[in-house]
Amino acid sequence: MDEFQEILQDFLIESFELIEQLDQDLVELENSPEDLELLNRIFRVAHTVKGASSFLNFDILTHLTHHMEDVLNKARHGELVIDADIMDVILESIDLMKSLLTTIRDTSKDEGIEVEPCVLRLVAITSGESPTEVQAPTAEETPAVEEPAAVEEEAEEPDFANMSDEDVEAEIQRLLEERQASDKAKREAKLAAGEEVPQMPDAQESDAQESKDEEPSPAPVLAVETPSTPPPAAKAAPKVDKKAAAPATATTVEQTIRVDVKRLDHLMNLIGELVLGKNRLIKINDDVEERYEGEEFLEELNQVVSIVSLVTTDLQIAVMKTRMLPIGKVFNKFPRMIRDLSRELGKKIELEISGEETELDKSIVEEIGDPLVHIIRNSCDHGIEDTSKRVATGKSETGTIGLKAYNEGNHIVIEITDDGAGMDPDFLRTKSIEKGVITEKEADMMSDKEAFTLIFRPGFSTAAQVTNVSGRGVGMDVVKTNIEKLNGMIDIESELGKGTVMKLKIPLTLAIIQALLVGVQEEYYAIPLASVLETVRIGKEEIYTVENRSVMRLRDEVLSLVHIADIFEVEHVFDTSEHAYVVVLGLAESKIGLIVDSLVGQEEIVIKSMGEYLKGMDGIAGATIRGDGGVTLIVDVAALMHMAKTIKSSVTGDAGSAKGGPREKTQPSDYKVMIIDDSKTDRKIMTMALKPLGITLIEANDGLEALNILKSGEHHFDALLIDIEMPRMDGYTLASEIKKYNKYKNLPLIAVTSRTGKADRMRGVESGMVEYITKPYSPDYLQNVVKRNIKFTFSQESAS
Amino acid sequence: MSDKLQDIINKQQDQIAPGEENMDNIVQLVGFVVGDEEFSVPILSIQEIIKPIEWTRVPRTPGYILGVFNLRGTVIPLIDLRLKFGLPSEKMTDESRFIVMKNESETAGFVIDRLTEAIRLKKHEIGPAPETSMQEKTMIEGVGKQDEKILTILKVDKLLERDF
Repeated sequence: MDEFQEILQDFLIESFELIEQLDQDLVELENSPEDLELLNRIFRVAHTVKGASSFLNFDILTHLTHHMEDVLNKARHGELVIDADIMDVILESIDLMKSLLTTIRDTSKDEGIEVEPCVLRLVAITSGESPTEVQAPTAEETPAVEEPAAVEEEAEEPDFANMSDEDVEAEIQRLLEERQASDKAKREAKLAAGEEVPQMPDAQESDAQESKDEEPSPAPVLAVETPSTPPPAAKAAPKVDKKAAAPATATTVEQTIRVDVKRLDHLMNLIGELVLGKNRLIKINDDVEERYEGEEFLEELNQVVSIVSLVTTDLQIAVMKTRMLPIGKVFNKFPRMIRDLSRELGKKIELEISGEETELDKSIVEEIGDPLVHIIRNSCDHGIEDTSKRVATGKSETGTIGLKAYNEGNHIVIEITDDGAGMDPDFLRTKSIEKGVITEKEADMMSDKEAFTLIFRPGFSTAAQVTNVSGRGVGMDVVKTNIEKLNGMIDIESELGKGTVMKLKIPLTLAIIQALLVGVQEEYYAIPLASVLETVRIGKEEIYTVENRSVMRLRDEVLSLVHIADIFEVEHVFDTSEHAYVVVLGLAESKIGLIVDSLVGQEEIVIKSMGEYLKGMDGIAGATIRGDGGVTLIVDVAALMHMAKTIKSSVTGDAGSAKGGPREKTQPSDYKVMIIDDSKTDRKIMTMALKPLGITLIEANDGLEALNILKSGEHHFDALLIDIEMPRMDGYTLASEIKKYNKYKNLPLIAVTSRTGKADRMRGVESGMVEYITKPYSPDYLQNVVKRNIKFTFSQESAS
Repeated sequence: MSDKLQDIINKQQDQIAPGEENMDNIVQLVGFVVGDEEFSVPILSIQEIIKPIEWTRVPRTPGYILGVFNLRGTVIPLIDLRLKFGLPSEKMTDESRFIVMKNESETAGFVIDRLTEAIRLKKHEIGPAPETSMQEKTMIEGVGKQDEKILTILKVDKLLERDF
């Protein structure tokens, strides 16, 4: 039984692979019904499936494929010309074959699917009738019609069901050879289409010749050169061709191995950990470099770190590649879909595919299929006009839909173009108002480009009535949701009467992403770079308020703005400068400007879940671990855009009105200064010197203590007096630690030290000190320096 | 020889058996203080106890969720038990700890004021949770009596349950 299962598995895998190619071949065949090469290829699929299924005792499947084979065989020998009607029947039978195979996969049986009507039509075709004439076949008729066909078949092929064991053995051998031959022919066909085949003698030639009796092979070279030559070519042709085919096989054979996707996923996770480790290492390397400048071992460390980071990057790319699939896997089903749609809609539509070899991550390939189906259906139904209308407007009768994929940086772009009617922005506006999707006011404010995006709103439809193809107002919403899920973007361009271009821009991979790190107050957030269109620095006066919404003018567009602090409820501790950075985010079809305090840079991040407990928090897609070991949250751009609509804005053009600005100082004791010195005497001296000012003084023993006091947030200091030489943490380190916080960027740090060297002063400046007082100093001098730095406004007399 | 061996084995088992029986009846707990009260959780639900490290605030969460922190490469939520129990927030001290608790589905860190001790309690020393109006919502597994002290045993599953 196990052995049987194994064979069954192989059979299924093979069959599904064959069928994938089949759809495309069939549609092509309809366009060039005399293409012998194509016919042969299709015939072989039916043949292979039939052979194997009869061996595995799937009678219904055998029955069906047998009759398909008959029809195709006739066409192959030129006794039958395949027209659209016949093609319909063939396609129907292929569909049946697919569902039978699916049933077999799920239940190991080929029951429950009615194939008889289809078989009857196939039989009708074989016997020369028009398939449409056979409509309500009765059960009694079936065997009678079937018999002659079966007999005919016997001549070509043994009856598998009644074979003895030895025969089975032989049959397997034969099938195997057949497969090899057909594989060869396939590859050769590819080559023949492309370039010259290198001529080379080959050992497998005998194999090919053996199988040639049962299976006259195609003549691709001939077929390509003279496609119009009718099929009954010379008997010699296949033989010659086989020889050409065989060498091609030898040179192009690619070794592959099937790997469980779970293993690849696991590998990808491990690489993610490695990338985090790498980021960490780079950060540590930078720190060490700073501290031990000029030391010899640094160079060695540098080398190691760069090698590790280089290899990690390469490794990551390599593993990503193992997960890549050509997008052709998705594209393949569209020729068939277009064909069916064009017949259903009574339009003439041609599909042009290019770039199907472009690769992207498996998980994305799986997600991209649905949106494409909806977009293409939409293009067929709404885009391409009726034949009569096309002719009337001077276009060619046949509409063209283009499907194109290409790489652009870290993205893959899928372009769907049609040369149809194009979209009328005004019509879209009126329709949307009618359906209650938007208000009239909103409609007035919309640019044409924004109006195009209305088609993605749920509930929007321009179709007057719901048809099989479209009209429910769901499809395009699906497109939007799926593309958003992939962090992709949609861009629409349309010209009335000329056609529409829809561009889907999708990141290549999901697990490890490039992110833009932004700062707000003292928090950091990572924004997936895939959603970042650009960043701009603007002055506060460039922000306008329209109906309680902040907006800015970006070139010729009006961009609505939202402050990241409002989205993430960040406390306004200090006032931002008069400049702000705007990160322009684009997702699916919409755009928004996110105001942040600072741009930190670009970093490679690995998305980590925050567990069930914090799953699905608004606006947060996950977390990542940074080089310094801290956790940074990743912005969920889709959610953020949604939240932006409902959030009240606190962004105003008037910088002064921002809440939480510097507090009003009404008396000298409102000023707070921290004295940091490890010597009690020194602290005393400073305290004495500053006492007359009446300001509040806080003392700290060393840098670490000072930092903790500062971090606790209990006090708001106006200045810090820092000794340089202290245990645990010295003054320089303290200053650079403090300057890491956005909040304290403008906090004056004053060095008070007995170190007088020029180098010491330089270091002081580098670490962010604003003044440098050398011991000993006069109390007046210290007072003046402090007063100047804290902008002390009270006169000394009133204070004392 | 084999008889002798069997003898020894039997003896050993005799020695172990009473102990095992005891083990079954004993619950090992870790005690800690939040506010003025002492609480405890079963030792088996504790993954580890660490000194406070830096964490990152997660916006739009209830106040008692301080944020997330990095525990050797895993991002774990951090919950302040003081705030969770409705006590005023206080600064962390040298005695503050993060207790990382876990059940089958979830792991989270909890900030406590200080640890007390590991406690062994016999099962019969543990009484049921006091009757409250919200039996469903109670975070109390039971109440342990130890000498003169009353020890509240917390329900780890309840602590780890998202309630917002």
